[in-house]
Amino acid sequence: MSKIDIGVKTIFGQLSSLFVNLVGHLTCFVAVAEELHFGRAAERLGMAQPPLSQRIQRLEKELGVRLFDRSSRRVELTAPGRLLLDEARDILARVDRVYSLADRARLGETGAVRAGLPADLGGAVVAALIAAFRARRPDLRLDLREIGTAEQVRALAEGALDVGVVRHPCDSRDLDLGPMLGQPVGVLLPADSPLAASPEVHLADLAGHDLVAFPREEAPGTYDELLATCRRHGYEPPAVHEARHPQFALGLVLAGTAVALAPRAEDGAAAVWRPLLGDPLTWRTSTAWRRGAEPDRERAVADFTAVATAVLRTEAGMVAVGEAPARRVVARPASGFLA
Amino acid sequence: MSARDGRTARAGTGGATGGGTGARAGAGGEVTARIEAAFRAAGVTGHLHAADIDTGREIGVRPDEPVVLASVFKVPLLVAFHRQAAAGLLDPTEAVTVRPEDRSAGPTGISALLDEVRMSLRDLACLMITVSDNAAADVLLDRVGLAAVNETAARLGLPRTYVDGGGRDLYDAMLSDGGVDSFAELWARLDEPGVLGRLRGLDPARTSRSTPREMTRLLGLVWRDEAAPPDGCAAMRRLFGLQVWPHRLSSGFPFDDVLVSGKTGTLLTVRNEVGVVEYPDGGRYAVAVFTRSSLPIAALPRADAVIGTSARMAVEALRAPGRPR
Repeated sequence: MSKIDIGVKTIFGQLSSLFVNLVGHLTCFVAVAEELHFGRAAERLGMAQPPLSQRIQRLEKELGVRLFDRSSRRVELTAPGRLLLDEARDILARVDRVYSLADRARLGETGAVRAGLPADLGGAVVAALIAAFRARRPDLRLDLREIGTAEQVRALAEGALDVGVVRHPCDSRDLDLGPMLGQPVGVLLPADSPLAASPEVHLADLAGHDLVAFPREEAPGTYDELLATCRRHGYEPPAVHEARHPQFALGLVLAGTAVALAPRAEDGAAAVWRPLLGDPLTWRTSTAWRRGAEPDRERAVADFTAVATAVLRTEAGMVAVGEAPARRVVARPASGFLA
Repeated sequence: MSARDGRTARAGTGGATGGGTGARAGAGGEVTARIEAAFRAAGVTGHLHAADIDTGREIGVRPDEPVVLASVFKVPLLVAFHRQAAAGLLDPTEAVTVRPEDRSAGPTGISALLDEVRMSLRDLACLMITVSDNAAADVLLDRVGLAAVNETAARLGLPRTYVDGGGRDLYDAMLSDGGVDSFAELWARLDEPGVLGRLRGLDPARTSRSTPREMTRLLGLVWRDEAAPPDGCAAMRRLFGLQVWPHRLSSGFPFDDVLVSGKTGTLLTVRNEVGVVEYPDGGRYAVAVFTRSSLPIAALPRADAVIGTSARMAVEALRAPGRPR
């Protein structure tokens, strides 16, 4: 057998299989180098000792250097072995990274829940929601987006969002909804306003004040209902200022002429929150997801709904309201049947 | 009244709402000023009276000046019709035939039909109120009698309410006063000097007339079952609630839980509506708004809408806790 024959055999036989399995051979090398004991290394790798020994021999043959000095009592790294150990570890780390990147790319489609939240829920609610979801589903990444109801409904329909927290009324024709939660809306007043002296405020008493409310495009249904209820109860704001975040609304209130309609807030030195007499305004909130979404999403959506519903009750002061109370509708001929 | 949403509860809490009520002192004057401003902005002169049907609280803008009724004359006619029915003087289910050549002019109801119609007196009353059918109204007026209508008004304590004639009389007078052959021509020539002044139909002294206060009084009688026996009053309330027009009184109350009943009156630049607004808390308010626009324009949505907005201002002031006068 000539040397060339051996080379050809090596290249097309052993070597090719070793190349394919180089990562496996290097893993064995690093394990033995770290344990300095073939038995413990084999145990760590979950394999028998003889194939481990064969692999080390094959690797040594391939590289043309002895990696270990083996005596009957101890195993030691040779100088070339020490030299190659760092390189081998580096290669294995990079291979791990290749796999984890591939995993993440795959999980990006299946292992994350993309959820929408209204902008005005507040930091405590968002933090509690993230923590509670992490505790319930450590295997899933929660991808939260701050978007309004109208945009959520669009994103759910397009499949760009898995689940949302929406304000009602909204277009929920193609959506399934979680438990309905209610939140009474009150008025945020400057602490020195004469109205702040009463424990409750009638909407009609706000006459003449500008109104601060969330931007209409966030949740057009809720916004229109808010203003219709104001008018219905005798309050037609001379102007409506839009504030996306509660802190901005507070600023406008503190500036003077405006009042904000918002869920309960802690009284501060400069501004106080008062309930509205007769509870004319309740914001209804629920989770929502696209009806007939893929089955593997169902459990994730159900878990999000359970967590979000619990957190909105404990952290945002919402209560279960079930069905919306039946509205009294006096039919007028102009809006009558087929009119 | 005890069920009204929170307002009685608020009255019960007394001084706790001091800030709000204090801010409302003199709100009666403020609301009439705002109503006047709304009339001005819409380009009309307006007369208004609004009254809480149960407490008598009221708000008025020139509420005792005489105004042109136009089709609002159909309200006292309807009341007289039901009183006669209750007295056994006529049978509301009696069917009558209305032939094309007998019909008064008008854009709606039987006035707009081409062929012979046979229907009961009470169904004619339905068309008279719900779509302001002039032909139906004149058939009823012929049956009830002009004198009986005015006698009813007097008996119900409406001394300044006077019905001068029906739709046909008014139509003929308008054309002859204007020296024109058609209503369209009258509109076209309305801004010619002297034409408006010649039209007796637009002069409260020379046509069917009343005052805003007398019209809210009449509606209050109907809503309190005092204008006729209760079943007659209920039938009248039903018809006012079925009126089709959404652009005047009704437009001021875009609330699903609020019932708006009414009767319009329209004659050239005169736009009126009288009606009742009822809230789910039991609050009910009679409102009469009579306007006249300065522009000789037929399509003037602002002038229609201000009837609703001024009525809402008045009703909200009546519902507010400050008890304005």
